[in-house]
Amino acid sequence: MIRDITIGQYFPGNSFLHLLDPRAKILITLFYIVTLFLCKNFFSLFLLLAVAILSVLISRISFRVILKGLRMILLIILFTAALQIFYNSKGTVLWKPVPAWKFAVTDQGIFSAVFLSIRIVALILFSSLLTYTTSPTQLTDAIERLLSPLKLLRVNVHALSMMMTIALRFIPTLIEELNIIISAQKSRGADLDSGSLLKRAKALVPIFVPLFVSAFRRAYELAFAMDCRCYNGEKGRTRMKIMKLGPRDYVGFAASAILTAAVVVTSYVPLSSIFIFESVI
Amino acid sequence: MMTEDLIVFDHVSYTYDDEETEKTVYALKDVSLTVRQGEFVVVLGHNGSGKSTLAKLSNSIFLPSEGKVFVRGMDTSVTENEFPIRKTMGVVFQNPDNQIVASIVEEDVAFGPENLGVPPKEIRRRVDEALKAVDMYDYRMHETHRLSGGQKQRVAIAGMLAMQPECIVFDEPTAMLDPKGRREVMQIIRRLNKEQGMTVVFITHYMEEAVHADRVVIVNDGGIAADGSPVSVFADREMLARCGLNVPEIAEVAYQLRSRGFDVPGSVLTEEALVDAVLRLAGKN
Repeated sequence: MIRDITIGQYFPGNSFLHLLDPRAKILITLFYIVTLFLCKNFFSLFLLLAVAILSVLISRISFRVILKGLRMILLIILFTAALQIFYNSKGTVLWKPVPAWKFAVTDQGIFSAVFLSIRIVALILFSSLLTYTTSPTQLTDAIERLLSPLKLLRVNVHALSMMMTIALRFIPTLIEELNIIISAQKSRGADLDSGSLLKRAKALVPIFVPLFVSAFRRAYELAFAMDCRCYNGEKGRTRMKIMKLGPRDYVGFAASAILTAAVVVTSYVPLSSIFIFESVI
Repeated sequence: MMTEDLIVFDHVSYTYDDEETEKTVYALKDVSLTVRQGEFVVVLGHNGSGKSTLAKLSNSIFLPSEGKVFVRGMDTSVTENEFPIRKTMGVVFQNPDNQIVASIVEEDVAFGPENLGVPPKEIRRRVDEALKAVDMYDYRMHETHRLSGGQKQRVAIAGMLAMQPECIVFDEPTAMLDPKGRREVMQIIRRLNKEQGMTVVFITHYMEEAVHADRVVIVNDGGIAADGSPVSVFADREMLARCGLNVPEIAEVAYQLRSRGFDVPGSVLTEEALVDAVLRLAGKN
């Protein structure tokens, strides 16, 4: 069942990445993603992939965890790759099974399929490191700080971040509860796995109704508990962990800037035609 | 002495409207109770006796419909007193899952002091101290949802300790725990009372958990049926039966022995005391 969700999980540690300021980590991750979409050829793509793998090594998070995370998106990768192969008809035709059909496998199609797959893998590798190395509270605190300019527009940024903290905290609890409810309904003879789509959708009602009821009850009790702990919104609230940009974070920003520069130069500047790698997209 | 009175319930009633019958129901009716500093008070009562309402009245989560509740002389119905009162009176609830706010142990424990505006370094010190007090320091970086029920409840207790309250009210903290978790939590609570002088109000329906208390209060039908030392309260078997409560197992064994003519004192409430008494009898014969 839905048990082994690793995306969004946090693995405590003391690596360089763990100790980076969470705000710096968010910004660097966003920068990396943008760069990933700017990248146009295999040379810069491999550079980005290498950086992602290097970051995994630095974080000292086991490859088993990383692979588990990747396995969950395997389907998406395969689907994207298949779409590229089937629908990209540019370039030389390598294989045309039925001459009458428009469908043909081309070298360009295969190139772009491989390119996109690597791009997705790099994206997931790098961005999952953000949550693997940052505790949910630190993450939401950082988002609160980064979004604080929105306060000028009277957006209650603190409430948003508190909601995120609580949501992240309760995801595992509710998954656990969902599994218990599914088992309970199955043991009463509920049939969830067979029948038409409509029938299966209907079978989900007796699962989600108790889940929602319980979620509301939990929210009610949690509100009492937060009251008891003197929660009063942002007013007068301090933090145990102070966020302060340090030398480490500047190293991170610099590395990130150099990477983007390298990618942009190799992708767009004509000079880079000295590289044998052709632009594929 | 007035200063020693930590919590005072002065003729307190609490009513709510029953949605089905649309009648006003008394959860508590004309209750007067005083908890003194350093005491370990166990509040016993069966389900629906009103004992949990007592917990929420004590830190101005609920306000009395009639009468007054005072914490350190502060009236709970005065809005300005809300935060000072909640700082003085910690409350730990039944379901540990529904009182943990953060995903990581130490971040959850820090939640209370953060709300109080304590400086960061001091929060760090308090969090470490609180976690050590409940034997959870080694788990400070763990994810809260992976802990056992007993461990979660200890984290919830640490969350209260970090706010440095004078008294903690425990509202059936062991009801959802397995026997092992229950023992762990009981042990921590007793230690807090004995070693740190923390005032403890412990609400439960497990009779066994009451035997170590300084004082036992029995709540029945929204009123107080008995208030005294465990020995005196558990000696009143008729009253307990009227309140739908059983005598603790050991006390029952002692009573049965006594009624069969053995010389077992009425003060026997714990296993150790019972073993002692029986050995003494065996020695005599």
